[in-house]
Amino acid sequence: MSVQTEGTDTAGEPAVRKARVPAPPRGDSRTTGAPSRRAAAAPYLLLLPALLATAVLLGWPLVKNGLLSFQNLNPRQLIQHLTEWNGVDNYQEVLSGGDFWRVVERSVVFTAVNVVLIMVFGTLIGLLLARLGARMRLLLMIGLVLAWAMPVIAATTVYQWLFAQRFGVVNWALDKLGWHSMADHNWLQTQFSTFAVIILLLVWQSIPFVAINLYAATTTIPRELYEAASLDGAGAWKGFTSVTLPFLRPFLYATTFLEVIWIFKAFPQIFAMNEGGPDHLTETLPIYAYVEGVGNQHFGVGAAISFLTILVLLVITSYYLRMVLKQEEDEL
Amino acid sequence: MKRSLFGRFWPNATAVVLFVGFVFPVYWMFATAFKPTGDIISETPVWFPTDATLEHFKKAVDADHFWTLVVNSVTVTVLSVVFSLVIALFAAFALARLRFKGRRGLIVTFMLAQMAPWEVMIIAIYLIVRDNDMLNSLVPLTVFYTMMVLPLTLLTLRGYVAAVPKELEESAMVDGCTRTQAFVKVIFPLLAPGLMATSLFGFVTAWNEFPLVLILNKDIEKQTLPLWLSQFQTAFGDDWGATMAASSLFALPILILFIFLQRKAVSGLTDGAVKG
Amino acid sequence: MKRKLAAAIVIAGMMVSVSACGGDDGDDSGKNAGPDGFKGQTLTVWAMDGSTPDQWVKDVTAAFEKKTGAKLKFETQKWDGIQQKITTALSESNPPDVLEVGNTQTPAYAATGGLADLSDLKKEIGADWTPSVSQSSVYDGKQYGAPWYFANRVVVYNKKIWAKAGLKDTPKTRDEFFKDLETIGKKTDAEPIYLPGQNWYFFDGLTIGQGADLVKKDGDKYVSNLGDPKVSKAMEIYKKYASYSKAPKDKDEATPQQAEVFAKGKTGAFIGMGWEAGTAVKANKAIEKDLGYFTIPGQTADKPEGVFLGGSNLAVAQGSKKQALAKEFLKIALSDQYEGELAKLNGVIPNKQALESNLKGNAVAEAAAPGAAVGGTTPLIPEWGAVENNPNPIKSYMTAVLNGKSPADAAKQVEGEINKRLAQQN
Repeated sequence: MSVQTEGTDTAGEPAVRKARVPAPPRGDSRTTGAPSRRAAAAPYLLLLPALLATAVLLGWPLVKNGLLSFQNLNPRQLIQHLTEWNGVDNYQEVLSGGDFWRVVERSVVFTAVNVVLIMVFGTLIGLLLARLGARMRLLLMIGLVLAWAMPVIAATTVYQWLFAQRFGVVNWALDKLGWHSMADHNWLQTQFSTFAVIILLLVWQSIPFVAINLYAATTTIPRELYEAASLDGAGAWKGFTSVTLPFLRPFLYATTFLEVIWIFKAFPQIFAMNEGGPDHLTETLPIYAYVEGVGNQHFGVGAAISFLTILVLLVITSYYLRMVLKQEEDEL
Repeated sequence: MKRSLFGRFWPNATAVVLFVGFVFPVYWMFATAFKPTGDIISETPVWFPTDATLEHFKKAVDADHFWTLVVNSVTVTVLSVVFSLVIALFAAFALARLRFKGRRGLIVTFMLAQMAPWEVMIIAIYLIVRDNDMLNSLVPLTVFYTMMVLPLTLLTLRGYVAAVPKELEESAMVDGCTRTQAFVKVIFPLLAPGLMATSLFGFVTAWNEFPLVLILNKDIEKQTLPLWLSQFQTAFGDDWGATMAASSLFALPILILFIFLQRKAVSGLTDGAVKG
Repeated sequence: MKRKLAAAIVIAGMMVSVSACGGDDGDDSGKNAGPDGFKGQTLTVWAMDGSTPDQWVKDVTAAFEKKTGAKLKFETQKWDGIQQKITTALSESNPPDVLEVGNTQTPAYAATGGLADLSDLKKEIGADWTPSVSQSSVYDGKQYGAPWYFANRVVVYNKKIWAKAGLKDTPKTRDEFFKDLETIGKKTDAEPIYLPGQNWYFFDGLTIGQGADLVKKDGDKYVSNLGDPKVSKAMEIYKKYASYSKAPKDKDEATPQQAEVFAKGKTGAFIGMGWEAGTAVKANKAIEKDLGYFTIPGQTADKPEGVFLGGSNLAVAQGSKKQALAKEFLKIALSDQYEGELAKLNGVIPNKQALESNLKGNAVAEAAAPGAAVGGTTPLIPEWGAVENNPNPIKSYMTAVLNGKSPADAAKQVEGEINKRLAQQN
């Protein structure tokens, strides 16, 4: 995963460019005869397994979830395998209360804060990697890869330990630094500080992906571009804005898209930290859906919230998806 | 050159600070796991486990069915990664190389699939699996994990396939290879590092998955390691030594895999591209 | 690299075939006929963490296997997330055959139709079940569970620390208790009591002591009664207790296990179930000789504090295909011999008064008995089950008060959530 290539075709395409630049023109080797019927079917055949898997393993649960969202499904119905349709009652219940919209707002702000932090610091660290000497770069890379590779559940557990009220090393350090009121501080007591710990965890986990890939992308920027820029009298900053940034833009778009999805969907980090508490105040949409549906055994309502969650995510990412649709037009 | 001393100092210092920041939680996990309990619960942190002990690891491994869970986790993870790689490779080739109707729509479809919030669909999945009598089995886990990692695997691989110069493939075809042969002989070897790099994502996802296995498999013989890890927290309460030992054991395979594959993948990619 | 990948695929292939072979541990229903035709069957019993002492499991298993020829499998369940686990399990085609269900949750499960009707069994062996404890399993006039054991909380204290603080006697009133805790805080470096903010069953006991109800009828439905001044009074008492503890305000007694905290020997006391002392000893053998117990003291010396009468019923899953075998198990487990043994080993109150002699000389049970006389439960209505689902709003209420909110404000804050849960249709 050293170079991120999902998204627009130009996104994460540095590797392609690098490959294309040195490739000598091969004259008229472009010999594509009239496509036979078999050749015409080939792409569909190749895609068949992936499409089948998606339809069955994703489409089916989605449809099922959609159906459940129109049912009154509580332990009794679940246990006795009863189907009780109740129209749009579940949606009405969710949308009429104030909770849902508060959670939507919170999820959007939460995602925005995280993604901005991740992208800004990830980019800066990626650029730093490009500037470092070989040895220091290796050192920092090792640090990044270790953080990146930590399994989510293990990492969440470790953060709980770092921030533990008693004997947690963070409280000790803050106390030693002169902030004595933090000696026995309970980080999970308020919404703000619970979020602070969760955000730190998510940013710590996500930066390596951005930084390492961004560094890999910068290595593929052709030197000639900088040389040309400096001939034009551009300084370091100008070189950055006129060469580096445009070159990385598609990559940044694609990465931001992925981070938005990942952060928005983040589940174990938030749930394991404090189960959405205190007082439901750190529930983001996925947690909210889980607590209301599975935790509260109100499965139909949970399904309705899930469905709305998917809609919200679609709205948030629609800008990027539209861009992809447009760009894919003039490709190949 | 003049600025080098000053110009080197700050980046290097920043790099060291960042290194410490990123590594510390990982270090603290391992350090805690090796420390005797007295050193863990101490008013001033013990920074280095001087009298290291394996007692916490023993406690972690002693849990019921530990080795069954290891085998289950490895089975499910490896299978779903391999399945998703194979399925994705076919699709990625079509999406990156072939021109056909509906291509655009398909790419967006897979991007949408990448957005699926699995945790909130578990009741739907549970009911599907239950009504098909597949509970307490590794099969549904494997196929759903395959699907969880498929979209990103596919989209990433598509980038790798696109990165292999078309000219290579075409010249092979001029040399008399069929398109399939060209793929097998020319493109696939260049893709190997890409496949490895892509597999990392799948490994991490499948290895970590928790809510689905929790609800699908109540039979402990069909459970996986994340459940074991989570039980530590609730069962042992503030026994941070055992919890951290369990976390270390859980993280270790992935850490090793990353360090190993990450370097190979990066160098493999650049090599391949330059040779092209 | 290619070779490695190939190897991985081969291994993967092998695993496919292996896992294809697994998973056919199908049940052996249909084969049974008559009480002695159970050979080859396995009965699965879900018991909660701490309910079943090893010796008891061994003895019951031996008796069961001898009588029926079938196998018995105990699976210990954790309290965390148990409601969802039981709900989904009851809906499956292979549910656990017998399961332990908490008395506060039994009405809710009875109402789901997931539990088998045990009225016949009650006729057969339940004539002398203590009526007050058997009542939690009755729903719609039918018996959906067999009362198994009951227990209430006591104060578990560390004799060494109390001696160090110069305390000779255990307290007889609440105020004496508070004074003792203060003395411990002053004269020793131990934490006087470990009481996390969400030990909600202790709080429930305090409300019972105040004669308060947690729900009230509003027309034909139940609504929260947390705003009642009597509930506030109970919460003030809790807060006073908690002021002697450094335990987290937003955790319950199981995270971390309070008995394990206590086992470190730096805590004066905790309020818990008798069997938790066993947990403490398991964590630290040395603590055993310092353990002492006394009844939670009340306002005056003549009436101890109200306690929550926690209890468990044994129920049979409606979906179990081994109904007859399950009843055989219940008959053995609940027989005077093994019911008595459980009472003796765990210091819990058995399901019939005749067996209470087993508690003689048991320090825990003797401390618990006076409390049990004035104990009560949570509202025994099917709607109640949902209130205790995680995150339990009453726990949020407790944390809010401990963090400085007035009980009335805190009650207002969670009332909406409680009412929503009480109104949930089944």
